[in-house]
Amino acid sequence: MKQYSKIMLLITMSFLWAKELELGSTLPLSEIKMADISGKDVSLKDAKGENGLLVIFSCNMCPWVIAWEDRYVSLTNEFKPQGVGIIAINSNEKQFDSVDSMEEMQKHAKELGYNFYYTMDQGSKLAREFGATRTPHIYLFDQNDKLVYRGAIDDNARKPDKVEQTYLADAIDNMLAGTKIDPTVTKALGCGIKFAK
Amino acid sequence: MNRYLLIIFILIIGCEQPDLQHTTAATLQDFYQLEKGQNAVMLNFWATSCEPCVAEFPMIVELAEIYENDLSVFFVSMDWLDEKEKAISFLKKQGVDWTTFIKDEKDNAFINGIHAEWSGALPFTILYGKTSGEVVDFWEGEQPDERFTKAVNAAINS
Repeated sequence: MKQYSKIMLLITMSFLWAKELELGSTLPLSEIKMADISGKDVSLKDAKGENGLLVIFSCNMCPWVIAWEDRYVSLTNEFKPQGVGIIAINSNEKQFDSVDSMEEMQKHAKELGYNFYYTMDQGSKLAREFGATRTPHIYLFDQNDKLVYRGAIDDNARKPDKVEQTYLADAIDNMLAGTKIDPTVTKALGCGIKFAK
Repeated sequence: MNRYLLIIFILIIGCEQPDLQHTTAATLQDFYQLEKGQNAVMLNFWATSCEPCVAEFPMIVELAEIYENDLSVFFVSMDWLDEKEKAISFLKKQGVDWTTFIKDEKDNAFINGIHAEWSGALPFTILYGKTSGEVVDFWEGEQPDERFTKAVNAAINS
């Protein structure tokens, strides 16, 4: 009976949460075009750089995004010239008619000096496919479109000057150098994605 | 004299702050495991800046009252430590007069220390069986009241 309960719990959980992309997975849904703040339609394939792609599930209002997003900009400044494409994706479809509208996204990006793509994920399709659950939620793909790192940006959202572990920057450095990434998976707090129903 | 004592007593009660203890995942585990064999346990991870957390909060307080003989509810704030006054003020408004916690550990270690399947998204709720002390149910994000009630009953009977 106990075993049966555990199995039922696991089945329930699998329905509740789409599993996160496994390391080594190929970049999914790379050709789906999404509306970007520039007014153009952009896919993950378009956003890809010659040496990789950084995907950030994000939004306008989440306090953890607001705490971390200065690093979206500095990471772009550092790694875009090294051939890493960067795209932030807003999958909060439940709020596309309010705080996460395109107009608000454009306003937010301008205020924060976003220097990367910032697109709307209609139907939260990409978030579901990636198994992304929160904002910010990071996925890093190498030049062969394989997932090499997922999780957090670093270990201190609130105080950039107190960061001890620069997980993502280290992962990108190692990816570019062809050396081992460790850790390849990290976790951080964030706002649950407001999925389309 | 008795009148003065009564006034002092009222002042003390009126000024009482909710008990918000700093915690790591390990110390939290030590604490809720003391309930095993006596009460089912619900841990709710929340933050004042998390809208769905705030929305479901009064319902959870109500559940704690309804099932007070069989269930211990512990709220664990994910607010930043330098903003813990916000959490204290919110808890006070919600009438939470029992021990609650605030995270005092790096995210990665804390989240993994609570449950391997928790991604870090808020709110997060997890229930432990009254007799077994084992995980009975857990979920991220908003859930309807019925889901909570069902999980609480399952935890009480586990």
